[in-house]
Amino acid sequence: MTWLDLALNHKGMDRIKGIGAPPIPKWSLLTRVLPFAFSCNLFCAFYFCAGMVGLSLGEKHFIQGGIAQDLRSDGRKRLTYRPLYVETGVIPQANGSARVRIGATEVVSSVKAELGKPGSLQPDKGRVTIYVDCSPTAAPMFEGRGGDELSTDLSVALQRCLLGGKSGAGAGIDLSSLIVVEGKICWDLYIDCLVISSDGNLLDTLGAAIKLAASFLISFVTDMRNSNNIILILFLKAALSNTGIPRVHVAAGASGDDNTEVDISDEEFLQFDTSDIPVIVTLTKIGRHYIVDATSEEESEMNSAVSISVNRKGHICGLTKRGGAGLDPSIILDMISVAKHVSEQLINKLDSEIAAAEAGEEES
Amino acid sequence: MAGRPGTNQTSYSPSLKTQKGRPPIFKDGDTDWVRPDGRGFHQCRPAFIRTGAVNAASGSAYAEFGNTKVIVSVFGPRESKKAMMYSDIGRLNCNVSYTTFATPVRSQGSDHKEFSSMLHKALEGAVILETFPKTTVDVFALVLESGGSDLPVVISCASLALADAGILMYDLVASVSLSCLGKNLVIDPILEEESYQDGSLMVTFMPSRYEVTQLTVTGEWSTPKINEGMQLCLDACSKLAKIMRSCLKEATTTSQE
Repeated sequence: MTWLDLALNHKGMDRIKGIGAPPIPKWSLLTRVLPFAFSCNLFCAFYFCAGMVGLSLGEKHFIQGGIAQDLRSDGRKRLTYRPLYVETGVIPQANGSARVRIGATEVVSSVKAELGKPGSLQPDKGRVTIYVDCSPTAAPMFEGRGGDELSTDLSVALQRCLLGGKSGAGAGIDLSSLIVVEGKICWDLYIDCLVISSDGNLLDTLGAAIKLAASFLISFVTDMRNSNNIILILFLKAALSNTGIPRVHVAAGASGDDNTEVDISDEEFLQFDTSDIPVIVTLTKIGRHYIVDATSEEESEMNSAVSISVNRKGHICGLTKRGGAGLDPSIILDMISVAKHVSEQLINKLDSEIAAAEAGEEES
Repeated sequence: MAGRPGTNQTSYSPSLKTQKGRPPIFKDGDTDWVRPDGRGFHQCRPAFIRTGAVNAASGSAYAEFGNTKVIVSVFGPRESKKAMMYSDIGRLNCNVSYTTFATPVRSQGSDHKEFSSMLHKALEGAVILETFPKTTVDVFALVLESGGSDLPVVISCASLALADAGILMYDLVASVSLSCLGKNLVIDPILEEESYQDGSLMVTFMPSRYEVTQLTVTGEWSTPKINEGMQLCLDACSKLAKIMRSCLKEATTTSQE
């Protein structure tokens, strides 16, 4: 038995109340420092694990053994999600917003649309910027620069899943529908997410929140009428908020100069088709089995995890492997098929939430 | 290049108009088109790799894959200034930066911040961290010219630099990326192909252990396509790893002479 085992057991024993303090051996000073430092460092290496989860050896075996027998610590099966609670329209100032809670993980996402100039490399596409902020309320280590690395990782993973290839193919959000005047004016969608509480499985929750927020955003339909002055009419609708984003008349001068007049009025709108936005399913590999929707304790035990984004048609829209351990390629392909199977129920659940919220809005 | 009086153009700047005229070539999925540099679809660029490029570093490597030129230097194991916490396993600190002249349009190189963490994830599965406890190994990658497929070249070059530094590893890490253009899968895309791609797949692979340490997929893929893409990449990675091994052997034989 190495000093490591002794250190871990020492930590575990401390947490059992009612049992007297264990006899303090000569290396006591070292062991008082080591377990904390050990757990800090080792678990910090798993980027997506927020908070330092200190588990004793017994707890680890319990988690691993349970997963091998298809029974997790909270009674779920391996491929079952925690209960999902959804609330839309939580931010009245944003064009679309949603708050999603899976178990103890809670995130809020908001979508804001602003007029801007398209990039010179892609003048026929609008822009979407995704930013994730990990707030210190989720874990004290997120304060200041601490949460930066996790935020960047999550933002990049979400961009990869939702925005598709560089030519725009396979993107969940169709960028060419965001254009107003080609080369001059386009819609900039800013998707901002806030992690309020983190208990594992951040990526799935964020993906679901973005899908819900965007579906209550709306659609941009441009209608070009040929005349001496090109008039572009935009129809925007915020499904839930009473202050809908109004119809915007953009009159471009005949000489095509940059001065465009934007005339705003209140009119009818159309629905943004967000059924193509994929959902993200994270499969965590512990031992030889995969689980869906890991809690932070289970995440600290993982060898590796694969986050797969699947759209309604069953196509993979993005894949990110996390965790340092290597995986056999056949296992990855197996995980892909499991993720496709699991994503169907998640997509159905989110669709029913969207339909319920729309029905509720129509009544009011 | 000096402008004549009367003209408003006093300096040369490359025009961006050529980019707009290109798309038709790649969008035509059915007809056979040849890649700009004459390679087949499943052919990688010829690789030039040398170790020992930087004298001051513990280990270093320089790689040139077509127009992508990368230099990686490894410092360590040495005392880590950042972390105050004791750790019984070593730490790997990776940093990828672009020079300002690496891209066709001069840029700050700031939109590739995530490459550092991706390099870290790719390498941490291969390095035996237990062999250098309490210390840090720093891997600094510099992209001198970005000619497409940058991150895979950085990863392969970094594992070579680590081997040159004498850091114990389970296996060399080879990495290859693949682009999906319409219905075709092209391996090792150049910058132009990357800007028109419909999807990309990047695999980081340890051939001897047959393990994938990192896999990134963007764009829409059906399962048979992913299968095919992965097979192509794994095959290319194995061949690349052989080239890397022969390069290391050459370096040791020349140093013995």
